[in-house]
Amino acid sequence: MGKSAEGGASRRGKNARKAEAAKEANTLAPGGRASGEKELARGQFFGLKKWQYVAINGFLIFHILAICCWCLPFGSPFIAACRGALRPYFLWSGLFQSWDMFSPLPKATNAYMEALVLYKDGSTTMWSFPRMEQLSLTDRYSKERYRKFVETVLVESSSPLWPDVARYVARMPEIRENRPQKIMLVVKWSDIVAHEDGTFTRAPWDEHVFYSYDVKPEDLQ
Amino acid sequence: MKAKSFFEAWNAFFFAEQSPIPVALFRVIFGVMVLATLLLLRADWMAWYGPHAWVSLRTMQAIEPGTRLNVFAFISQSDFWVRALFWIFLGSAASLTVGLLTRVNCLIVFVCLTSMDQRNLFILHGGDTFLRVAGFFLIFAPAGAALSVDRLIRIGRGKEEVEIRPRNPWAQRMIQLELALVYFVGFCWKVAGTPWVQGTALQSIIQLDELQRFPLPSWMLRPTMLKLGTWFTLALEFSLGVLIWIRELRYYLLAMGLFFHLSLEYLMNIPMFQWDVLSAYVLFIDAGDMERVWKRVRERVGGYFGERVTVIYDGGSERLRRIANLLGAIDIFGRLSFVDSRDAGAQGGARVKAARNELVAETSSGARHGSDALQTVASVVPLLWPVYVGLGIQRLFKPAASVKAS
Repeated sequence: MGKSAEGGASRRGKNARKAEAAKEANTLAPGGRASGEKELARGQFFGLKKWQYVAINGFLIFHILAICCWCLPFGSPFIAACRGALRPYFLWSGLFQSWDMFSPLPKATNAYMEALVLYKDGSTTMWSFPRMEQLSLTDRYSKERYRKFVETVLVESSSPLWPDVARYVARMPEIRENRPQKIMLVVKWSDIVAHEDGTFTRAPWDEHVFYSYDVKPEDLQ
Repeated sequence: MKAKSFFEAWNAFFFAEQSPIPVALFRVIFGVMVLATLLLLRADWMAWYGPHAWVSLRTMQAIEPGTRLNVFAFISQSDFWVRALFWIFLGSAASLTVGLLTRVNCLIVFVCLTSMDQRNLFILHGGDTFLRVAGFFLIFAPAGAALSVDRLIRIGRGKEEVEIRPRNPWAQRMIQLELALVYFVGFCWKVAGTPWVQGTALQSIIQLDELQRFPLPSWMLRPTMLKLGTWFTLALEFSLGVLIWIRELRYYLLAMGLFFHLSLEYLMNIPMFQWDVLSAYVLFIDAGDMERVWKRVRERVGGYFGERVTVIYDGGSERLRRIANLLGAIDIFGRLSFVDSRDAGAQGGARVKAARNELVAETSSGARHGSDALQTVASVVPLLWPVYVGLGIQRLFKPAASVKAS
């Protein structure tokens, strides 16, 4: 920053010289007054027109305050009211953000999701979502979105997503061609248990069918 | 702090003109990050964003209502249009990387990036969010003022000189503030959690199978080391959020941040996040320091590209002056030196005469004119190597090009 500030100072010096030259021009050339004043004004506003300088400052102040208000984990009613007021703009513009990675409490469960498919002929198959620990290094790069997606789907509040997920599984070519009747989404999990001595162990795996979907003919279109 | 000094500091921070090279370099890396994100998703474009995606557009809009900048909501829900949008996005990101129509492409990339995120909010990681927010401020930055095709076009048209003009850095400052905020907010959230304060958070995180990438040496897995690692994370996030603004500490903190993110890249499976965040580190590097480092690189590496070439041009010819300026801007390894033939009058003779009509490239083996001169110049300027190859191929079909000695 120091250098920038120095650069700015020399620039301001340059602007001041420009302004002086402009003043001189005013006294020498008839009709040169207006352009000289413009030069002077530009010098005062870092090469910007006054309205640009004012508008940019307004933009900066608004966005700095708004982003801080949106992100910082302060729980005051005033901040909550500000967030409410900012919400439409942030959602529209894509400035919404949250930076609570692994916090305040890191995830304490290993979990993955499978889909149990029941076909019209009575047979069943289990379709497994890509699991990062079973993929190659390159696949982990391209399929990481599945990890995030499964993490989201397994949250109770994401239940509106479940029918879409079940329908997608039913539409998969290898499943669709065998005429699926029912899709059951299954979560398998193992808790990470903290002990008094500061060590961690893993609890045995458990499983649970958390959603069941009857496939309709139009789902397979 | 008095109000006057606050305003002075504000103006110096946001408006004191500085070199646009850091923000231009950020634009290049940002473009590469967007391209990498898109290409990694390539196989699943339809699975995540198509008309029959894991989450339909209708479901997405029902779960996350509100007016949003989302092109997917306006285009026809067909494979063709979704693919077309992605190819436009890809082309635009590539153009942004090289700095072609920079402002327009920056806007297109931001709109597409936001649309992609809005279309499926359930697969995003912090890196996507950072790119989106940084992309918003990049629209307002002089990102094409250096290291760009736009600049070469402006020089070629005589609208700009070789020297890069300083610009207001306010948009660059907003991206810097955003990065600092990422760390500071992360720190605030973490100190609110008992495992982070007690130092057990990392022990818990390394138990998550889905995040593990490469194994750590066993001595690093001891509880004491993991405890220290947890607290180091807290201290570093606070420092990168707050102390980064102290000039004397900045480079040390950036080096630690780099080490931290590379360690996470080794340890954890969160593709692209580390690189997305690291991309903005260049904004904290002083342009003067960048130029010094580049000068050293140029001195060490430049020699490998061949003997220096003196380009003689007629400064009275607007066309030749522009071409010389253009070559000067492209010559990133400093292999060319330029002589205005009008200044070189004392040396007189044919060289001066010749330079009035065309560029002359002079080396220890003599002077070359026309396409020979261009080929000589192209041979030592890496960005012109395609031209060198092109001229070589052309020569295969047009042998016996004349080489005039001075």
